[in-house]
Amino acid sequence: MVRMRATLAVLAVVLAAGCSAPGSDSEDAGSDSGPIKIAVVDAQSGQLSSLGAWELKGARLAVDEWNAQGGVNGRQIQLDVFDDQGDPTIGTNLARKIDSEGYIAMIGTAESAVTIAMAPLLKQAEIPNITSGQSPGLVATKSEFLFLNGPTSTTYDETLAKHIVDQEGIKSIAMITNNGGYGKGEHDAFLKALRSRGVTPLADQVVTADQKDFSAVLTSIRQKNPKVIFLGAEEVESGLIVKQARDLGITATFAGAAPQGTPVFIDTAGAKNAEGAIVSSPYLSNDIDEASKKFAAAYKAKFNEEAELHGAKAYDGTQILLTALKTSNVASGKQLADAIRATKHDGLLGDFAFDETGVGIFETSIGVIKGGKLVAAES
Amino acid sequence: MQVFLQTIVGGVSLGAVYALVALGFSLVYRTMGLVNFAHGNVVTVGAYLASTFYLSTKLPFALAMVVAIVVTGAIGLVIERVLRPLENKDFDLMLIGTIGFGIVLDALIIMIWGATGRAVPSPVQTAPIDLFGLRIRTYDLVVLAIAALATVLLVLFLSRTKRGAAMQAVAMDHEAATAVGIHVGRSNAIAFMIGAGLAALAGGLVGPLLYVSPALGGALGIKGFAAAILGGFGSIPGAILGGLAIGILDSFTAGHFQGYSELVTFLVFTVIIMVRPTGIFGERTVNRA
Repeated sequence: MVRMRATLAVLAVVLAAGCSAPGSDSEDAGSDSGPIKIAVVDAQSGQLSSLGAWELKGARLAVDEWNAQGGVNGRQIQLDVFDDQGDPTIGTNLARKIDSEGYIAMIGTAESAVTIAMAPLLKQAEIPNITSGQSPGLVATKSEFLFLNGPTSTTYDETLAKHIVDQEGIKSIAMITNNGGYGKGEHDAFLKALRSRGVTPLADQVVTADQKDFSAVLTSIRQKNPKVIFLGAEEVESGLIVKQARDLGITATFAGAAPQGTPVFIDTAGAKNAEGAIVSSPYLSNDIDEASKKFAAAYKAKFNEEAELHGAKAYDGTQILLTALKTSNVASGKQLADAIRATKHDGLLGDFAFDETGVGIFETSIGVIKGGKLVAAES
Repeated sequence: MQVFLQTIVGGVSLGAVYALVALGFSLVYRTMGLVNFAHGNVVTVGAYLASTFYLSTKLPFALAMVVAIVVTGAIGLVIERVLRPLENKDFDLMLIGTIGFGIVLDALIIMIWGATGRAVPSPVQTAPIDLFGLRIRTYDLVVLAIAALATVLLVLFLSRTKRGAAMQAVAMDHEAATAVGIHVGRSNAIAFMIGAGLAALAGGLVGPLLYVSPALGGALGIKGFAAAILGGFGSIPGAILGGLAIGILDSFTAGHFQGYSELVTFLVFTVIIMVRPTGIFGERTVNRA
């Protein structure tokens, strides 16, 4: 009987959410019975699916930990996955779907372009969204419902430029970025960081996001003989660039932000080719402190694979969301967004303190790929 | 000059792969008058099979390729068998049928191998050849040699064997071919099988050059299809020339137009097709619709 009543209650919530006009106040979605519905929107297929898979694992781990301890205010958290295929069009459709199905918050996506496309719809629907994207374009959407679970490209690339130009004294730098959402952000941020130091890149080459052959671009860079080549592209494409560059006899060191520290990048490029790459990342390894060791152990136990940056970011983001749900007494819409903004979280990436742009972390560290693994740089 | 030549070298190796994909498209088209929209997905299946046997069961690369070609060839037979009742009855349904098979294969790939993809180390470990500052990957030469060999074998099969001649006859006039006792269905089945085998060859060869993921076949399929059209849909030499042309064109636009390279590639393609709608070799004899 109790079970039936619960089913009816869930049904009522679903119906109520389903009947409300699109974009209308979704206050009703966060009603006070049944599980709390949180959506994970990420690429589960396509070239960006490894990002989506890591992110899902990080979020799943956080939610399972909370559920094991009784959930939030005695309510279990229900985490549902939606595949955006890394495609902004599918992303906007999913934004409408999670609104109409009564999800009160969203984790994802890992691809800036998709998140930027979804942001206006989520803002209208008043669904807070914690993304793993890092493009400055996310901040430019000016949505008070959009939060980043890591630093923006500006922070990544400022730290990188500081290390390469100021500390190592290297000024002979070439850039290869792609014209996707992430690559564009990296291009602008790194170029700005170089310009502020009075450095002009030897080459500034742009490639398309699904390009496979980089001979022309790399050969013209080879003639300029730079010491460092900056990469602003996702894992697989960056890996292909490095592999082809080494085949063309380019010996320069590669540098980049988060994607260049991932196992997918190292595998695609080949460990030997990726050796020595300089990476700017807020999460270099699993052995930084007690919290990261505990996280890595739990991650390994649950998914039987090594934890890495993207899982850690999603874990932090999900922890912040769940903490905000607890402090706000399971609020939704604007109230939940305000609660997230007010949450101070001592996470794996550092101490989160959100400003009005939705960014909570403002520093990264420099790592180097050694023997196929990312390790902290000696300075 | 060095950039110019290196760009050609880079374009040729992927061009050879596009040519193999285009061959599969053309072979099915000339025999059945059908565009096999599942072709790109068959390429992905081939790439996964080859890399699985190479990486997991540690077969030698060549043997892994052979196994992949045989298995994908069988998949081609299945596709043809399912579509056979529609042959010469409802052309549109057959087209939709191939699209459907594409979606099924895509889903199967994700169910079996997951969505993440894998990197395949090159089976040829020797350093690239340095020719007056021009770097040529040894593996690229292997790809070119295999593509050339496959083409020669295909042409010999079509022109010198009885079965091949029968397929040519079906391509020219399937009713007349039936009248002289040629089994049209069997002919179609062989075309689908060889087409799928060529797709597996392309997928398997491209694995070590790129990254094997469920999205692999989509990009190769579109470029391969464009190559087949450019060369003259249905023409065997056209597919080869079209593939190399698309590869080199792509490589050059990437160098000159950077972020807009894809746009320029397809603009140039459109202009060529407008000037010469039948493609370079202008065969396009088959029209059964």
